[in-house]
Amino acid sequence: MIVAPPASYCPRHPARMLPTELPGAGEIVSFTTLHSPPEGFKSPLHIAIVELEGGARFVCHGAETRGLKIGSTVAIEAVNNVYYFSSLGALDRARIFWRRAGRAGDRVNSIAQSPMKRVWKGKDRAGL
Amino acid sequence: MRDVWISGAGMTAIGRRTEPLQSLMAEAALSALLMAERERPDAIVVAAMNPEEFVGDGNFASNVATHMGFAEVPTVRIETATSSGAAALYAGFAEVAAGLHRTVLVVGGEKMTHLATPRVSELIGRSIDPYERLYGATMPALAGLITRALMARNAVGLREIAQVAVKNHANAAKNPYAHYRQPITIEDVMTSRMVADPLRLLHCCPISDGGAAVVLTSDRIGVRIAGIGQGTDTLAVRHRQNLTSFRATQVAARVAFAMAGFGPERVDFAELHDAFTPFELIALEDIGLIPVGKASRATLDGETALDGRLPINPSGGLKARGHPLAATGLAQVVECVWQLLGRAEGRQLEGHTALAHSIGGLATNNWVTVLERL
Ligand SMILES: [Zn+2]
Repeated sequence: MIVAPPASYCPRHPARMLPTELPGAGEIVSFTTLHSPPEGFKSPLHIAIVELEGGARFVCHGAETRGLKIGSTVAIEAVNNVYYFSSLGALDRARIFWRRAGRAGDRVNSIAQSPMKRVWKGKDRAGL
Repeated sequence: MRDVWISGAGMTAIGRRTEPLQSLMAEAALSALLMAERERPDAIVVAAMNPEEFVGDGNFASNVATHMGFAEVPTVRIETATSSGAAALYAGFAEVAAGLHRTVLVVGGEKMTHLATPRVSELIGRSIDPYERLYGATMPALAGLITRALMARNAVGLREIAQVAVKNHANAAKNPYAHYRQPITIEDVMTSRMVADPLRLLHCCPISDGGAAVVLTSDRIGVRIAGIGQGTDTLAVRHRQNLTSFRATQVAARVAFAMAGFGPERVDFAELHDAFTPFELIALEDIGLIPVGKASRATLDGETALDGRLPINPSGGLKARGHPLAATGLAQVVECVWQLLGRAEGRQLEGHTALAHSIGGLATNNWVTVLERL
């Protein structure tokens, strides 16, 4: 299991976690808009769960949810330690598709690398 | 393991109450003891989620016991967030089943309405994973994320999640103990204020005060606890692969039915944790009361209404009876006991077997209890 932010132990097993890196693009798992957010947040507050390749799920803020769907491909980026999601244009999506299909090149990687962030990867014991 | 029976069940009217929390819990406890015809229990289990912050009192087991005149009765306090009442029932069950005590009073309560709503939301929200809270995640926010995922995957629509509210308000209208006794329409729900898209105000339970209590005994009387089970999951919602069902409910149900020695097909009616109306649909399927993918259809068809095949939340549920946190898990059991023993005037159901389901936090610590009248 890959979790973010870094954790000492896997939430489901008492196994130590190791650091790993992930590309900063993934899919919207779900999203909502809070109309009376807690103190310290502006209304409306857009919150999404984004799953990066490899399965790590991030909670993110976003500027808007117009046109957003579950399964939409988004980029995520940390600004002052807070992750934000943003919708990808057709060209970016195409580049990610080709990278997934095993045709990764420099041109393609540069897209995904910009929001790349450190997370930690769990080392699960088999069968646990 | 000894059989454990519920010989008394009592609760306060739920809603905005002016009495101190201790008085609400005493009111519930004394009415449960009266029904059980006991003056004094051998032990007490107290459930309160956060009296330290809500009312400013600590050492709460002794506080409540002393207030009720039971200062010399052994008392503990149990807490698992919003399912604390069900967890306390489990602790009391264990004390009786193990033979440690013959009669145990389990009493839960919460008092919140004297505080401003944002303050109450913040205190309840502390049961959420701290990292998710940094992003402004509240209980309605996480429920909104789950609801959107549910609507995308299982073809659950806005009408279905609204109908749960309409049904539960209709039930509460017949329950003198309920917080909200006015029926509402689908249009009321669908035009109420947006809280956490797609969840609107009338999809969410209110903030309520109240207390509930049961008396447990090894004597063969009243209603038997046929099975009781706990299920747990990660504190963080983002660490779960599946948002549209709750592992904690599935495991709790499996454990409870294994103890009971029968399955969900024997359940005649149930009280389910509908803090947000889509949670009732999720629980129906997680527990196995309705086949996967059929809960919303069953709800629209009236199967879960008071006069349906499988009445759900005859009390009005958290949605309309109200949700005084640690009282709730016990209030569900009180409703089931009253129904099973023919004491649910105005909303009386037929049946021998009932089920209560309580969610702690955002489904991190859930409970299922199966009750049987012999
Ligand atoms: Zn693990």
